[in-house]
Amino acid sequence: MPLWLLATIVVVGLAAVALLTHLLGWSRARAFVDEAEAMRAWDREFSADPARRADLLPGGHAAVVYSARGTGLVWTMGLDSTARPLAGARLRQTRRGLTIRFPDMAAPSVTLPLAPSERDDWHRRLQETLT
Amino acid sequence: MTDVSYPDVVTLAVPLFVAAILAEIVWIAVRGRDGHAGRYETRDAMTSLLMGTGNVVSGLLLGFIAWGFFMTLWQITPLDLGTAWWVVVLCFVLDDLRYYWVHRFGHRIRWVWASHVNHHSSQHYNLTTALRQTWTGTFTFMMIVRAPLILLGFHPAMVLFVGGLNLIYQFWIHTEAIGRLPRWVEAVMNTPSHHRVHHGRNAKYLDANYAGVFIVWDKLFGTFVAEDDREKVDYGLVHNLGTFNPLRVAFHEWVAIFRDVTRPGLTLRQRLMYAVAPPGWSHDGSRETSDQIKARHRTAPPGEAEAPGLARP
Repeated sequence: MPLWLLATIVVVGLAAVALLTHLLGWSRARAFVDEAEAMRAWDREFSADPARRADLLPGGHAAVVYSARGTGLVWTMGLDSTARPLAGARLRQTRRGLTIRFPDMAAPSVTLPLAPSERDDWHRRLQETLT
Repeated sequence: MTDVSYPDVVTLAVPLFVAAILAEIVWIAVRGRDGHAGRYETRDAMTSLLMGTGNVVSGLLLGFIAWGFFMTLWQITPLDLGTAWWVVVLCFVLDDLRYYWVHRFGHRIRWVWASHVNHHSSQHYNLTTALRQTWTGTFTFMMIVRAPLILLGFHPAMVLFVGGLNLIYQFWIHTEAIGRLPRWVEAVMNTPSHHRVHHGRNAKYLDANYAGVFIVWDKLFGTFVAEDDREKVDYGLVHNLGTFNPLRVAFHEWVAIFRDVTRPGLTLRQRLMYAVAPPGWSHDGSRETSDQIKARHRTAPPGEAEAPGLARP
């Protein structure tokens, strides 16, 4: 098969999959309904260190989780979720909200969308867990 | 024998891959996403497809290394089995055995896992997941495992041809749209059900069902675990990725190995272990290997039968 034909099929295929899944509504990000769901998502990642408590962030796309070993963040990834301990993370306020950078190439950062009025409060609360 | 050539079957199958993915999307849309037909998510699917594209590109750029190695072996070996149809069939079966071991190494040796991890990094299980392939396979040096086939007299072009057929076979089993197949098929062949188990991050499903085409290898070497209807497969990695960026998907474990190996204060043995021990090994016990995760999930007292997939080694 000529390379130009292969490249065309790949590009058209990628575009078709992206368009079709988006039109079907499969690009909408998941949000946690409540703290219990966020804690289950944490336990799914860290079953040896289960969540004791969680604070859901506005919008439900992330939650701060408190476990025996410390504090962590669980957040939605598309329709699914992932989580990381907050140890070693760095916080920065941005125009969209609060960005958390992890020392992990597999989960480099997550931006928590927060209204300007919410940023200081969440920044302080998260910073307290890191110190 | 000098002029042996076979079609590049994987490239020829690309239109089929695209058509099948679109058909699976339509099927899931018709059946409803909450059913058992499967799930798609746009960014996840795009990442998988870009990983597949990158795999083809890396093959074009780096394929000459493996090919040069194979042709060197071919010059050395005095054996030549020819190109009869039964030789191709035998080559296919033996190459599938080769695949089983390379795949097993890919889960048990971190250096090889660094390449293979991206295939397991989706939390979805659909036909795009099949195409979420490595960009760094050359650097695992697993081409060495193909050496015996060539030294036995199978032409390198034939070995790559049957390897392509093996890859194509494995495409269609990456789906939740197919439940279980007739008993004889499930007994002999790798199927969607068996391979769903392989992609599971549930403790009992870790390090199981390494087969490419024939599931008999897992039954022979003690790594077979049947899909348990009481425990739905949870797809993905033990610690799932927090990125859809294909570059990070492709290279994150290599970077993690580099960081671990270059940590201050480790012995030479510990540095080596971070590269070649099973994924999850750590010098201070701060992480868990799959064996340790399984041990934590065992419930039966020592001496009594444990659930499949959790049995003591």
